[in-house]
Amino acid sequence: MVDQLPNRGLELEMLQAMGMSSMDDLFDDIPVEVRMTEQLALPAPQSEEEIIADARRLLGANMAMSDTVSFLGAGLYRNYVPASVFQLITRGEFLTSYTPYQPEVSQGMLQAMWEFQTLISELVGLPISNLSLYDGSTAAAEALTCAVRVHNRKAEQKDTVYVSELTPPDKISVMTNYCQGAGITIKYIKHNSDGSIDLTSAQQAAGSCGVYVEQPNPLGLLDGGYPQLKSIIGDNTALIVGVQPISLGLVEAPGHYGADIVVGEGQPLGSPITAGGPIYGIFACSKPYLRLMPGRIVGKSIDVDGNEAYCLTLSTREQHIRRHRATSNICTNETLIALMGAMHMSLLGPEGLHHLALRNITACNLAKQKLSEIGTIALPHSNGTHFNEFIVELPSSASNCLEYLDGVDIIGGFDASRWYPERKNWLLVTVTDQTSAKEIELLAAHIALWSSGVNA
Amino acid sequence: MSRLFDFAGGIGMGYSQPDTLMSKESVTLPASLVRKELPKWPRLSEPEMVRHYTWLSRRNFGIDTGFYPLGSCTMKHNPRVNEVIAQIPGIAEIHPHQPEHHLQGLLSIFHEMQHMLEICSGMDQVTLQPVAGAQGEFTAVRCVQEYFRIRGESQRTKVIVPDSAHGTNPASAAMAGFEIVEIPSLEDGRIDIDALKSVVDDTVALMMVTNPNTLGLFENNISQASEIIHSVGGQMYYDGANFNAILGRTSPGLMGFDAVHFNLHKTFSQPHGGGGPGSGPIGVKAHLAEFLPGPIVKKKPISSGYEKFAVDDMWYGWFQPANSIGKVQQWHGNAGAVIRCWAYYRRYGYGLKDMSEHAVLNANYLRYALHREAEKAGISDMFVDGATTRVAKHEFTLSLLPAKEKYGISAMDVAKGLLDKGYMAPTVYFPLVVPECMMFEPTETESRDTLDEFAKEFIEVLQEDAETLHQAPVTTPVRRVDEVYAARNLCLRHPFDES
Repeated sequence: MVDQLPNRGLELEMLQAMGMSSMDDLFDDIPVEVRMTEQLALPAPQSEEEIIADARRLLGANMAMSDTVSFLGAGLYRNYVPASVFQLITRGEFLTSYTPYQPEVSQGMLQAMWEFQTLISELVGLPISNLSLYDGSTAAAEALTCAVRVHNRKAEQKDTVYVSELTPPDKISVMTNYCQGAGITIKYIKHNSDGSIDLTSAQQAAGSCGVYVEQPNPLGLLDGGYPQLKSIIGDNTALIVGVQPISLGLVEAPGHYGADIVVGEGQPLGSPITAGGPIYGIFACSKPYLRLMPGRIVGKSIDVDGNEAYCLTLSTREQHIRRHRATSNICTNETLIALMGAMHMSLLGPEGLHHLALRNITACNLAKQKLSEIGTIALPHSNGTHFNEFIVELPSSASNCLEYLDGVDIIGGFDASRWYPERKNWLLVTVTDQTSAKEIELLAAHIALWSSGVNA
Repeated sequence: MSRLFDFAGGIGMGYSQPDTLMSKESVTLPASLVRKELPKWPRLSEPEMVRHYTWLSRRNFGIDTGFYPLGSCTMKHNPRVNEVIAQIPGIAEIHPHQPEHHLQGLLSIFHEMQHMLEICSGMDQVTLQPVAGAQGEFTAVRCVQEYFRIRGESQRTKVIVPDSAHGTNPASAAMAGFEIVEIPSLEDGRIDIDALKSVVDDTVALMMVTNPNTLGLFENNISQASEIIHSVGGQMYYDGANFNAILGRTSPGLMGFDAVHFNLHKTFSQPHGGGGPGSGPIGVKAHLAEFLPGPIVKKKPISSGYEKFAVDDMWYGWFQPANSIGKVQQWHGNAGAVIRCWAYYRRYGYGLKDMSEHAVLNANYLRYALHREAEKAGISDMFVDGATTRVAKHEFTLSLLPAKEKYGISAMDVAKGLLDKGYMAPTVYFPLVVPECMMFEPTETESRDTLDEFAKEFIEVLQEDAETLHQAPVTTPVRRVDEVYAARNLCLRHPFDES
C-alpha cells in the first residue's frame, strides 16, 4: 500500500465537501474515448525496506570503480568529494527548493550561486559565469551557437565554427544537434602527429564565428600552442576552450591567454561520476557575450531597505520571457550539483586546488614513466606534458587488452578506437589523484605480461 | 551576513589531502601555460564552511520548510530513501564507458524505467538520455525533424504552439530550426479548434500540447486536435509537465500523441535542487523510435560465460537506434536522477493512479476551500477562477484582476504577503492568458489540514490593506528585491578590487 499520501482515508469527506461522491467525478472531464479502463500494468507498491533491498542487490551487481582498480576517464574523473559536501547538500532547504522566482525566500541559493559564479570566474579568468548548464558537452554546444549569435554579422565565414578534430564523437554529436537548427556548419582543425594543434590549420578558422579546443586535449596533452590561437583567429572569432577544472590549479586560466568563452565538465569539482549524470557544465565568458549567452545568472542587488540582496537577472534572454527568441531553451539546469562544486571549491581554497592539480599531474607522470619502461608498447605523445591521461600504443587492439585486464579485475582505460576508428591499438590510460602507485605498478605489470603474450 | 569571500584564513586548505606520489620536480609545464596567479578563492576551514552553507540554507525555502504550491512545477515531497539509494557506490562510482557486464544492475533499472514510462504514457519506446524537460522537448522535435527529412517532407517547417504553452515549447522548436505558429486559446484556455484548423496545411511538422493545459484544464477536444494535425500529415507532441494529473486515468497514447517528454523531477520526485538537476526522458510511438538518441537499453539472451554478471534471466544491453539523431548529452543522461525516480516509482507501482487521483483531489479541494473561505469573509468579489470549469486537474488558476482594479492589490502583492505567512507563493503572471494570474498546484503530498489552513491565510492576506501588502514581505531574510537595480547595476561576481 502506498504510504506517501496524507489524505488517504479522507478522500470521501473531501469529495463530499465539494459536492462529489467519487474520484471518478474529478475525472469526468476526460472524454470517454481517451480514458484508460484497465489498471496500469505495473507491479504492486513496495515498502521502503523492500526498495532498499532491491536497490542494494541491483546496484551491488554493478562494478563500482571505488571497489576495483580503474584507469578509465576520458572526460569524467574519479575524485574525492569531502564528506561535508554530501552532508550539506541534503539539507532540505537546498535539496527541495526550486528556481528562485521569489528571491526574498531564496537568498541562500541565490547567494550561493552568485558565489559559484565568482569561484568559476576566478578559476577560468573570465568576468562572467552562469550558474551551470547540463554538462560539458551541452556547454560546448551552447558556446558554439552563442559565438555565432555574437559574431555572425561581421564574420567572413558566416554560420561556421571550427572544432578540434580530436573532440570525442559523442561530444561532436551533441554539438551537431544543437547547431543544425541554426544552420551552423562545423569544420575541423587538424592536430600534428605529436598531438599538438596544427597552428597552420587553425589559420583557416580566422573569420569564422568560433573555434573550440580542449585544454588538456582529449589525448590528455597540455597544448602550449593555444596562447597563440587568439591572435591567429582574430578578434571577431570566439576562442572557446574546454577545460578540466582541476588542471587550472597549475595551468594558466584560458581567460588569461585569449579565450572568450570557457566551458567544461564541472564534475571533478564536487561531484561523483554517477554514470555521467547529474554532473554540471561550466560556462563562462567575457563581456561581449553577456547578453547573448545561455543559462541563468544571479546578480547582486538591494532590497527596498537598501540591504544587500540577490536575484536572477538578465532574464530577458530566457525562454520563459523571450519564448522562441530566447538564447537557449534551458530552464531546469544543474544548480544543486553546481552547489556541490562551490562547496568543494570553498574547502579547497587556492592552495588546495594547486595541491590537487599537482597530485593529478604527478600521478600521471608516474604512470607515464612506468608504462614507458615496457619495451613492447609505445607512448606516441611522450614528449608532451599530460594531465590525467595519455595514449598508449599497444602491439594489438585496445579491446583485446581491456578484455585481458578485465579478467584480472582492472579497468584498464578507454579504447580510443571508439573515438578514432583507425587507431585500433590506442589505449587511453587515465590516472587521477585517486590512483595509487601500487595500482600503477599493477597496471604496468599486467600490460607487460599481456603484450609479451601478444608478441610471442 | 556570512559572505564567502570574507573568509581569508591562513592555512588555505579546508581539508587535508594526502601527499602520495607528490614530487614537484617531475612537473614541467610548457612555459606559456604556467599559471601565474592562483584563483582568488576564499580560505575556509571545515567548520567555517559548514556554518556558512548552513547559514545560507536557512535563508532558503524548500518543500521541507513549508507548503510550496508553485503551479506547473509539481513540488511534491521528495522521499529520503531515494537519496540514500543514490549514494550507493554502484551508482555514484560507476563510469558510463564501463562494459555492459559491469553495469547489469544499472541497465536493468534503466530498462525497467523505460518500460514503466512506456506503460504510463502509451508510447512504444522511451529513451532516458535527455536531462531536463526542455531538453526532452528539443530531442523529440529533432526526432520528428529527422523523420520528415527521411520521408522527403522537408517542406514541414512549422510548429504550432498554443499561446498558453510553457516558454520552453517555442524555444525548443526554434532551437531545432522550426518556425513557430502561435495560436490563440479559447477564453477558458483550451485549444481553439477553429483557430487550429485555420493554420494547418502540409507545412506543419508538429503541434506541441500540454494536457491538462497550463490552466489545469483537460483539453476535451484533444482527439479532434490530434485528428486535424494527423490529417495534414503532422505529428503530435505531449509536454509532460502536467503528467502528474493523469497517470492511470488516460495517457498521451490514448489521446493520439506521437511523442512525449516526462519531467522526472516533477512527476517522479527527483528533488528540484534549487533549479536542477532534472531528468527529461522522452517516449515515442514506433514510427519515431529509430530516430531516438542512443543508446537505449534492450533485453536479450545471456551469452555463455556471462551468467555470473546477470541480475536476472536476461541480459541488458545498449542498443543504437538505426537512424538516431545522435546524442543530446555526452553520457547516458542523468542516471542518478533516474535511480531516485526508480525508487519512487517502486513505492507506488500500479498505485501511481492513486498518486494522480490525490493530486487532482487536493487541487480541487484547495480551489473549493479558497472560494469557501472567501465567501465566509465576504470577499468573493476579489478574485475569479482563471477558467470557469467544474473540475480542474492537478492545478488551477485564479485571476486577481478584480482585487487589482478595486483595491490596487496585485497578484505580486498577494504572493509577497503569502511569503510573510510562511508559504512559498504560487506561480504568478503565468499563463499570460489569465490577467493577474496565480497558479496553484498543491500536489498529492499535502494534508487536508494544510490546504484548509493555507486557504484561511490566503484570505487573510487578501483582507489586508493595499499599502500593507505593497510593503510585504517584512518577515523574510530580505524585503522586496530590486530587480531593476540588479539589471542596471550588473554585479555578477564578487568585485575583489572594490572590497
